[in-house]
Amino acid sequence: MRRELLSIMLLLCIIVFVVSAEEKPPRKAPPLPDVAVHSLGPQKLAPLPPVPVPPDNPQTPMKILLGKQLYFDTRLSADNNESCASCHDPAMGWSDKGPTSVGIKSQVGPRRAPPVSNSAYMPLQFWDGRADTLEEQAKGPIINPKEMGNTHEKMLETLNSIPGYVEEFETVFGKIPIDLDQVAKAIAAYERTIVTTDSPFDRYAKGDKTALTPLEAQGLEIFNGKGHCTACHWGPNFTDGRFHNLGAKNKEPMEDDLGRYAVTKNDKDKRAFKTPTVRDVASRPPYLHNGSEQTLWDLVEFYNRGGGDDDSNMDPLMVPLGLTKGEMEALVAFMKVAVTSNNPEVANEKPIPPDEFPK
Amino acid sequence: MKNQYHRMNFQSKGEGIMKKVLLSLLLVSIIFLLFADRGNAIPAFARKHSFNCNMCHTAYPKLNDFGQRFRDNGYQIPGQVGGEKSIFATSPPIAIRALPGYDIYKTECCKMNSFHIFGVDILAAGVFHENLSFLFIYTPRIDEPAADYTGPQDGLNPRQLASVESANVVFSNVIDNKLNFRVGRFEPSYLPFSAKRSYYLFSPYEIYDFATPMNTFIVGDNQLGIEAAGHFKSGFKYAVGFMNGNNGNPDNNNNKDIYFRLLKTFGRGDGQSAGQRIGIFGIYGMQPTSFYGSIVSPFGETDGFINKQFYRIGLDASINWSTLNFQFLYMIGKDDKALNTLRPTEDYEYSGGFAQIDWAVMKNNRLVLSLLYNWVFPPDYDEQGKLKTYSVLGRYYLGNWEAVNVALHLEYTYKGRTICRFREDIIGMVIDFAF
Repeated sequence: MRRELLSIMLLLCIIVFVVSAEEKPPRKAPPLPDVAVHSLGPQKLAPLPPVPVPPDNPQTPMKILLGKQLYFDTRLSADNNESCASCHDPAMGWSDKGPTSVGIKSQVGPRRAPPVSNSAYMPLQFWDGRADTLEEQAKGPIINPKEMGNTHEKMLETLNSIPGYVEEFETVFGKIPIDLDQVAKAIAAYERTIVTTDSPFDRYAKGDKTALTPLEAQGLEIFNGKGHCTACHWGPNFTDGRFHNLGAKNKEPMEDDLGRYAVTKNDKDKRAFKTPTVRDVASRPPYLHNGSEQTLWDLVEFYNRGGGDDDSNMDPLMVPLGLTKGEMEALVAFMKVAVTSNNPEVANEKPIPPDEFPK
Repeated sequence: MKNQYHRMNFQSKGEGIMKKVLLSLLLVSIIFLLFADRGNAIPAFARKHSFNCNMCHTAYPKLNDFGQRFRDNGYQIPGQVGGEKSIFATSPPIAIRALPGYDIYKTECCKMNSFHIFGVDILAAGVFHENLSFLFIYTPRIDEPAADYTGPQDGLNPRQLASVESANVVFSNVIDNKLNFRVGRFEPSYLPFSAKRSYYLFSPYEIYDFATPMNTFIVGDNQLGIEAAGHFKSGFKYAVGFMNGNNGNPDNNNNKDIYFRLLKTFGRGDGQSAGQRIGIFGIYGMQPTSFYGSIVSPFGETDGFINKQFYRIGLDASINWSTLNFQFLYMIGKDDKALNTLRPTEDYEYSGGFAQIDWAVMKNNRLVLSLLYNWVFPPDYDEQGKLKTYSVLGRYYLGNWEAVNVALHLEYTYKGRTICRFREDIIGMVIDFAF
């Protein structure tokens, strides 16, 4: 009889545990916004699908051109020296030379600029995901005291004082004066054209088995296998768009950067940063949010060690990989060439000459 | 996939056939090599996540650290709980593993060889809902061989018995990673090295399968019961369980056997493919010595009487260096003298263990080489004699970036017993594939 009682008690304990687990506050990161290209769980590495465009900001040629002008225009900053392209430089893989970004009055920021290329596919923007959309993201750096150091009001005042811009905004949006949403929408529309495609990997995935060299093909296999890369860098954009703590803690004298925690206040998000795309990764060293790894080889070594410093909040996906030198070479070869795009209009985008900006 | 080699029935073939057989196998291997890139079949989890097999396996079926954490987390990607597709959002999570091949079996008196299907598993696994997942494995009966079979034990010697090898539900993260439950038939955590996921097909871990005179409990078999397990950031892991202790069958007495497992990992990794791991384990149970007057319920359990105790206790270590993995396990077992029909005046005590070294070679671990030494030392009066086995194997994997799911397996085992100097030599050539 005692045994039966014990069994029943054990069963009750289990039920209580299960039920209580249901009632507890969520211990995970808040759910990600549902966007067309992002569904639950890893997806296959594949060529990129068409860019998702929000219904309230359709792409038009005029809007894209306007956005491009704004993107390269330093007049959006407080001292007329900084533009979006100052940190998100096409020549630097739409990021910067790092290790972290340098903004207005040569102020050094805590993170390097995340690449703008393919950011249209990201479910959340910024390293810490504090913006839901490209439109929201575009508003941020303008007023960041270490980036463009302006205010939205002053920036709008500046734009509204330039007849060329007023005319273009009226043509694109059908109303003036220029407002902040219009500026953000135009910049976002341009950024949605910065898509890197037609890499050797894309051709390989479509069936052209000659698109990768044997070494690169081995690298791809390791990328999706022993290297564990696709645990986070999955799907057509080679990123889960989620946040991970890799142990890449800032070194003195840099301040500790708590990453995603600043947005969610969830302890589990401390020092977690968004997974960047691997597409065109070779064009934008150094690596990680703080530029702490100089080369792709350094980066692979970093992962091979199981990440950076010990951190109680280290992502459980981080484990030493046991990659041999040959496997690391294959992985680097894959990332160096196989995911480098072949659409020159994006890779070789040139800044707008000063005399071509609206006056 | 249960090792049933000792139950196999071998059909004698002429020596001349050997060459043809080897040539055939070589031809099959070449064909596989030529068409390897066309392979696109991957088992349930890998297919669901679009991962290569070696995301979770050092080389299948052996789990790496990622795979171990995935399993510990209820088949959910660690750190991504809530971000998993459920089985309702994916294609049916079904996979099959099959092992056709050829063996040569030799003792001091005779030599045999035959083609075989060494095993078939039908697996289904997935996530029902957040933190609620399942694993189901059915092994169909494989008979020897077809209707026109003319061997001595027609229909009586299945190579593999039909069995629901696993059917369990996992309640994960009941208290973070610290408490998880597994209920049903499962491989208990007291097995530090999984016999089901061993590279070795013919002689995995002898100590797990060692049978004592009057005790039906087999350490290596999947058990019916409930297990609580958890892991901590410090690298400490535990498991404790209650089980029938009757190898997946209904219980034969009213006592539930219990077990525990404690381990600690050092460095990064779980000791599977990175980091180091040491642990201890123990099993304590009761076996009936009499069924006189007992009854059988409609569900098959029996209330055996005069239950006597037995225990198994052991320690283990897994050491990693580069792509080498060294595994060691030592275990002792003791059955009450009432269970010792060989010498009822004393308890039946035995010991044994194994040491194994695996070396993953080539890019993405396409080649695995391994050495294994097993020993089982029963009491001197047990006429089974001391057993020592030496095994060596090589597995070469075919596939591409999407999957490396076909293994060409070559294994040799020498088994020697001290009694009568009996020895066996086993060579197996198997194509181990899963999709």
